[in-house]
Amino acid sequence: MTDSTPPTPSLAAPALAAHALTRIVPLGERRLTLLDDVSLSVATGESLAIVGASGSGKTTLLGLLAGLDRPDGGSVAWHGETVSTLSEDALAKRRQGAVGFVFQSFQLLPALTALENVMLPLELAGADDAEARARDWLRRVGLAERLDHLPRQLSGGEQQRVAIARAFVAAPRIVFADEPTGNLDTATGAEIIELMFSLNRAQGTTLVLVTHDAELAARCDHMVRLAHGKVQA
Amino acid sequence: MKRAALMLRFVRRELRSTEARILVLALALAVASVGAVAMFADRVQSAFVEQANVLLGADAMISGDRPLPPAFAEAARAFGLTTTESTRFGSMVSVPVRDGGEVRSVLADVKAVAAPYPLRGTLEARGPTGARVPLVAQVRPGEVFVDERLASRLGVRAGERVELGRLTPRIAQVFAEEPEVAGNFITMAPKVLMAGADVEASGLIAPGSRATYRLQVAGPRAGEFVAAMRPKLGPGQRLETIRELRPEVRSTLERAEQFLGLAASFAVFLAVVAIVLTLRRYLKREIDTATLFRTLGAGERQTLVHFIGQFCVLALLACALGVALAYAAQAALAWTVRGLFESALPPAGWWPLAKAFATGFVLLLGFALPPLVALAATPPVRALRRDLPPLAGSGALAMSLGGIAVLAVVLMQAQDWATGVVFVGALLALVALATLLAGALLWLIRRAVRSGGLRWLGRAHSVSFGLANLDRRRLSTALQIACLGLGVMTLITVGFVRTDLFSAWQKSLPPDAPNQFLINIQADQIAPIQSLLPKDAGEAAAVYPMVRARLVELNGRPISAKDFVSENAKRLIDREFNLSSASTLPRGNRLVAGAWPDATERDVMSIEDGIAATLGLKLGDEVTFDVAGETLRVRITSLRKVDWDSFRVNFFALLPQASIAALPKSYITAFHLPPGDTKTLAAVVAAAPNVLAIDVSEMMQRIRSIVDQVARALEFVFVFTLLAGLLTLYTAVIATQDERRYDTAVIRTLGGTARQVRRALLAEFVTLGAAAGVLGVGGAVGLTWALAARLLKIEFVPSPGVWVAGFVLAVALTLLAGWLGTRSVLSTPPLQVLRESA
Repeated sequence: MTDSTPPTPSLAAPALAAHALTRIVPLGERRLTLLDDVSLSVATGESLAIVGASGSGKTTLLGLLAGLDRPDGGSVAWHGETVSTLSEDALAKRRQGAVGFVFQSFQLLPALTALENVMLPLELAGADDAEARARDWLRRVGLAERLDHLPRQLSGGEQQRVAIARAFVAAPRIVFADEPTGNLDTATGAEIIELMFSLNRAQGTTLVLVTHDAELAARCDHMVRLAHGKVQA
Repeated sequence: MKRAALMLRFVRRELRSTEARILVLALALAVASVGAVAMFADRVQSAFVEQANVLLGADAMISGDRPLPPAFAEAARAFGLTTTESTRFGSMVSVPVRDGGEVRSVLADVKAVAAPYPLRGTLEARGPTGARVPLVAQVRPGEVFVDERLASRLGVRAGERVELGRLTPRIAQVFAEEPEVAGNFITMAPKVLMAGADVEASGLIAPGSRATYRLQVAGPRAGEFVAAMRPKLGPGQRLETIRELRPEVRSTLERAEQFLGLAASFAVFLAVVAIVLTLRRYLKREIDTATLFRTLGAGERQTLVHFIGQFCVLALLACALGVALAYAAQAALAWTVRGLFESALPPAGWWPLAKAFATGFVLLLGFALPPLVALAATPPVRALRRDLPPLAGSGALAMSLGGIAVLAVVLMQAQDWATGVVFVGALLALVALATLLAGALLWLIRRAVRSGGLRWLGRAHSVSFGLANLDRRRLSTALQIACLGLGVMTLITVGFVRTDLFSAWQKSLPPDAPNQFLINIQADQIAPIQSLLPKDAGEAAAVYPMVRARLVELNGRPISAKDFVSENAKRLIDREFNLSSASTLPRGNRLVAGAWPDATERDVMSIEDGIAATLGLKLGDEVTFDVAGETLRVRITSLRKVDWDSFRVNFFALLPQASIAALPKSYITAFHLPPGDTKTLAAVVAAAPNVLAIDVSEMMQRIRSIVDQVARALEFVFVFTLLAGLLTLYTAVIATQDERRYDTAVIRTLGGTARQVRRALLAEFVTLGAAAGVLGVGGAVGLTWALAARLLKIEFVPSPGVWVAGFVLAVALTLLAGWLGTRSVLSTPPLQVLRESA
């Protein structure tokens, strides 16, 4: 099988599995261990919260699980396929349509309207019905009236809804979220959590999120607590 | 296809952002100023070349000592040129004997012409008031036109008949001057125009007669014709344009072209500054887009193709907009100066616009490609960790590729390699120097802030905070100071060129420059003639000896025209040289090699470097002249540059007095004859009938008018460059405001008052502006000195006024742009600014 053709997902395998992940960065003369021997596994349709203090390695772990970064040791598999050894371009291809992202700072492109921001993942994958699907998703997140608004014309909660629509629009099997409520007030944060979990259920998506929010973490099926780069019991 | 469509959709989306708009606008402005200047310069240049061509009566002329092959004229017509053929020869013109009186005969310079003649300019007759009026008439068979000198010497007037060979044509017109005044002064005899159809019947030209057969051409593509014909010339044939005929005209045209080229170079300079600064801001933003692309599954190649494609489309858009602006701007310029030129400016060619388009595109790609390639390789994890260093190592590469792009652009401006390398070298050296200076300045500020040396500024907390800001963004600040400094330098230089250099140039041809030459004066006639000249003729009326000599040997070997390839060299060998003597280096002459001989030296020669190059003569060569049968052997001990546009009497070859004392010689003088003075020349000719008086006032008038028109037209070009430069600098300052907005918001969040923020910003901008001002003024002093002394050979006059103005301008501009860019921060809630910048 070549590198660039995604394999058929194995139903038996977990949606996401990490084995003995290690990430070390050079820091001047010394080497700093960000993650040390982290293993975990999430079944299809389940949700996982990664929690821990600032600097405990949460975001590093999310980056590795999402295939945005490469581990120095260990491996990551999506639906049974090891992705951590793929070439950068092959990995990008796998992300296309299979993985969605929600970021703390939304990461919407400021010059694109809400609709265009949501269309982007589909456009990059060369989908023909990008606009119709993006409209549909913006309707589902309650922004049917704000299609042509630019991010700066939207509130923080609205921006995050656009980001969620963008994460789900390509029907990904796994959605990664990095502190999705970190930039929002409590009430708006609660709405966003509600939205994410309802979509998660409706789509049968696997959800992995990094959070400080105990309430959010408690709603997930599983929780991993990190301290100094290690999983705490 | 889909990807191309996505890329185009992105261009449309990108254009909603300030960064992309500023980039497009700055680039469009840069292209517009390069294009407008080049296009207008092209039109002005065609206009003055057209005017200079009047001195030749055509745009170009082929002449030969045998009838020219018809293929030449056919080739000219194939280029769409108007042609006319003529034959020029010397002949006696006589008045028929009447009432038993004497036969009066004069040797005249006869031109047998065919309509249309002349191709450029018109003949001029003397009107009833004595002023010259255009004379639009063609010579018909059986008629001649004679000039005033011939009419007065023969004592004839219009309507009478003269004898010319076997014919007795009627004088149809007496003219004052014909346009074709360029040519050899020395052979200038009174002129006669006859019909070409009469030549055979006159029997004046028999096989073996000395005659020159000429083909004159005119039209927009004359330059192409000249280039195409030059290699096809046979022996005894030559191709002449006004530049080759008159060194004064050539040097005036070259000077004008240098000024125009300078204006175009300044525009390129400013374009580079604008591009470097605005690109930085644009690319910084594009990193986020690239990161998102990679996160959402775009491969490195897809990302690379997308961003380069998108950038190319933006660049094309900007260049197209720039070209449209350029066209409009040059049309407006032409309309503004419409009163300056005798006739409407010739239409512009499209070439300058194409060049401006390519200039913008090449510059932009040169500076942007390396960062774009780095952009595509952005690690996707940057989406989670924004603190990662964005683009490592692309800066130096971008600068070197950018340097190559600048070199390509300069070469495209049709200049030579040497100029291009000097231009790029100077630019790089200036950027390096500016960055170093800025670094040193920041170091000083840092020390002053740390040691508390700025306490004298009063409540200096916010001031030192502002200065510390500059220091924190060291690289960005250094680049900004360097670019601003370069911009200011260019502006000051433009201001200086516009005022001081132009007036120096115009002064180089003062109103009392000699306009009359008297040649063939004999030794015993010097004193009587000098007593007849106007009292105020002064130094100009000095008398110079002139020895006519043929060059016969070089380093002991006989030479002839056959030994030379260039037509110019062949002609110089065939002709007689005029040798003269001078005890000191004459005014307007400059030694470029060797030494001026001391009083004791004999048999040495100083030669003009241009003619030395044509003939391949070097310092130390021994040349032998034949002077009316006597041999004169001299060694070349110095080479001179001659300021031909001074209109003084100048010689190619100068020898010590002792060397030519015993040789047969005549004398020459030049003096200024005030307009309307008709008596002086009549008195001179009466006292010394053998003396030939040559009036160059017409030619000088024409050259002076070219200088005036070009100088005034250029003034507009430079004002335009100045305006474009100001706009460019403004966009440049605006382009670096993001970081400052963020810092300001942080101060506000931490409880800084608007007053404190304003003071910090003020300190920052004043320092930035002052540093750029110092750098700009320093650079401008160096550059203007180099331009004046080295390139244009004009006296350098320090102009402290312009320098101070430049410094003030730098500070004021930085303050204004800084204030415009950050004022909204003070009225926007800090959180919003922080969120936008996150």
